[in-house]
Amino acid sequence: MKKSIEPTAVCEFSVMRSPLTLQEAICEAERCLLCEDAPCSKGCPAGTDPGRFIRQIKFRNFKGAGRTIRNNNILGSTCAHVCPTDKTCARACSAKGLTTPIDIAGLQRFAIAYGRENGLEPLEAPSVEGQAVAVIGAGPAGLACAAELACRGHKVTVFEKDPVPGGVPRWNIPDFRLPVEEVAADCAQLADLGVEIRCGFTVDTPEKVNEIMDKYTAVVVATGLNEAFALPLFDGAPNAFDYITWLRRAKTDRERFASEVAGKRVAIIGGGSVAMDAAVTARALGASRVTLVSLEHLGELPADLEEIELGHLLDVVFRDGAMITGVEKYEGGHIVALTGTEIEWIEPGKFVPANARPVTHAQFSLPVDFVVMAIGTRPVFAHLFAALPTWDKKCFAPAGEDRPWSAAGKLFAVGDVVNRGTMAVQAVGEGKKTAEAVHAFIAGGAK
Amino acid sequence: MTHKKADLSVQFCGVHFDNPFCLSSSPVGNHAEMCARAFDAGWGGIAYKTLNVDSSFKIVMPSPRLNAYHYNDKRFVGLQNAEQITDRSLADNLKDIAELKRKYPGRVLISSIMGFTSDDWTLLAKKSEEVGADMLELNFSCPQMARKDAGHRVGQDYDLVERFTAVVKKASRLPVLAKMTPNITDMIPVALAAKRGGADAISAINTIRAITDIDLETLTPMPIIFGKSGITGFSGPAAKPIGMRFVSELYSSDELSLPVAAIGGVETWRDALHYILLGAGTVQVTTAIMRHGYRIVEDMIEGLSDFMLERGITSLEEIRGAAAKKLIDPSNFDVRHQVVSQIDEKKCIGCGQCYISCQDGANQAIVFDAEKRKAKVDETRCVGCTLCRHVCPVWDCVTTRTVDTQTTSHAAIF
Repeated sequence: MKKSIEPTAVCEFSVMRSPLTLQEAICEAERCLLCEDAPCSKGCPAGTDPGRFIRQIKFRNFKGAGRTIRNNNILGSTCAHVCPTDKTCARACSAKGLTTPIDIAGLQRFAIAYGRENGLEPLEAPSVEGQAVAVIGAGPAGLACAAELACRGHKVTVFEKDPVPGGVPRWNIPDFRLPVEEVAADCAQLADLGVEIRCGFTVDTPEKVNEIMDKYTAVVVATGLNEAFALPLFDGAPNAFDYITWLRRAKTDRERFASEVAGKRVAIIGGGSVAMDAAVTARALGASRVTLVSLEHLGELPADLEEIELGHLLDVVFRDGAMITGVEKYEGGHIVALTGTEIEWIEPGKFVPANARPVTHAQFSLPVDFVVMAIGTRPVFAHLFAALPTWDKKCFAPAGEDRPWSAAGKLFAVGDVVNRGTMAVQAVGEGKKTAEAVHAFIAGGAK
Repeated sequence: MTHKKADLSVQFCGVHFDNPFCLSSSPVGNHAEMCARAFDAGWGGIAYKTLNVDSSFKIVMPSPRLNAYHYNDKRFVGLQNAEQITDRSLADNLKDIAELKRKYPGRVLISSIMGFTSDDWTLLAKKSEEVGADMLELNFSCPQMARKDAGHRVGQDYDLVERFTAVVKKASRLPVLAKMTPNITDMIPVALAAKRGGADAISAINTIRAITDIDLETLTPMPIIFGKSGITGFSGPAAKPIGMRFVSELYSSDELSLPVAAIGGVETWRDALHYILLGAGTVQVTTAIMRHGYRIVEDMIEGLSDFMLERGITSLEEIRGAAAKKLIDPSNFDVRHQVVSQIDEKKCIGCGQCYISCQDGANQAIVFDAEKRKAKVDETRCVGCTLCRHVCPVWDCVTTRTVDTQTTSHAAIF
């Protein structure tokens, strides 16, 4: 069973679930039934193989468990903190037939921490000589792809626009869910594999693209979705933010940010995981009242269960099944209140704005000091890749079933920029698979 | 509120016990105040912590002297101790026994004694009788007592057992229990020696000489007693199967034919009943009390009483030894009839543990349906060992069906 979330830790932006102690890890591993078919391992998109590492913990082979995790998933710690396990490894856990699913994420964190504290040897690059490969974007997909290529002997350079690697987990996920040190520790393993990560390098001109294309045997685009959608309704309002700006500010400038948000009323527009993160962050920063306005009703929210639980714990007010219809502005375009209405679905089960119909006499008004839009993202360097055949204006199309990459000659694309945004663990899995495809491309003569 | 209660009383060597549940001689019966609380909790009898003649041998306990045997997350499956017999003065202990018998005249006080010479045994027997003890238990089995003339070494020496028992019988009119060590291949010859010396009953088992753990930092067995350790007595739930074996053998020996005070790993009324069904007259407990306190006797009394009422048993005498009578020589088992396992598909949670165990530890007779995540028995291969039933995490998922191999084929018969 997962350890409970500690709200005080959330408010201090320190990790919200304390790590499993040795005793807790042994007891939790002891509950594992060591299934013949390990549905946990089948359920992990990254192939982390929890069935194996839990068995290793159960038989006191703690370092072995750490090796299994990092050999299979270079972002093992990141995933152990942010994975919605109820949708992945723990979904079909047989222990549910007895009591509760195994706390797989907790055990994963334990094994990684054990290795770190007990001198688990660093990863080592293989001695084989491969080709030079460029990866653009140091998020989960790019890093997983880079690590996998390095393990196959290729010399990998990762280009990252931000000052440190990690992508969405590093910049958009609040510290109480995922401390930056954990992402940093995962990323450090790439250096052990001989991967070079060039930070602060934005591939934003056709010249830079051409230079990279000329220099490397293969190029992997893993730039993700990094521009948040905005609602025209809030155009020009100085107190309206997109969720990326909001969450990044909490990462980079938290004290000042907290002094601005403390005691204020915040409205979050959206019902997904990032909306929930933005809402809980607002509460943790000291906002007096945080209202989450979502088209979806409570049971329909696309956010992960854990994030919704976190929202409830932090007293986020859920204005579910509702949409914003207007704003009241003050001088300077400052929004002072939102007006909205409750909605119902015209056609059941289709959770899109076009399918929403206002409920009569269900208008409401919501006084606000800040508005945060968390309604989706798109790729920002779209123009750079528009020439590629699989580009459909929004994203690349995957090459096929179980072929989650997009490819044109030596150029490959992977991650959110292909799958339109999913879990980090999914991106890791797709990054690994793409590396295989890149490797096969190189092995086949790189034509 | 009151409810019907069964009569749990037993007559043991002519002594009346309100119930068969007793403290075995150990730290749980160390002095009067503790014993008084045990009687208040409801224990039928107490074997007081073993007395010795302090002028003849002064006891100093080592510390730390305990180490628990844990099985993964399961704590305290057994307990190893380097405890000795009493380290209090004989005078204090005798005063305590006298006080207890004054306060609890209806409860049974067994004086456990250990001498190093015939004179010691005589003195301890006489003094115990003087202060009102109801019975004597001769400690021939302390595994930490490594002297030739005392402790478990005596318990392995037929002549000494007979001689010391006879000495005690001569010194006192009290019924005498001879307490046996399990650290011997066959207990019957020793028990017979005690009988020849005049013993009225046998107590078994004392603790099993064991090593429970080794500290991997210092590479030293535990408990580490200032850099060293020792092979010492092991008790608790893990010891019960061994205790049951010895008790059933004692009970089933026609030549011996003495009452048995059973000891070894009892925690619940079910454990106690197991021993009674194997022939025990009374049941003594220590380790469970060390872990959970005297209060556990309440559940032993209520549980055993309900069992008797449900079955219409009016006296424990009716069922004593019932299970021992079902024990036969393994070479005489009925092999004409065999079983095959049956897995309840509704209860199966699909973990496949039975499949793994059958593959690598039995006869490859289980099929795992990966699609449905269900295990199924291949009856043409099942030899009926029931490993699957025992590894299944769902207690009642796997059952068996009987096959008459004279009329139906079975994998156990080629």
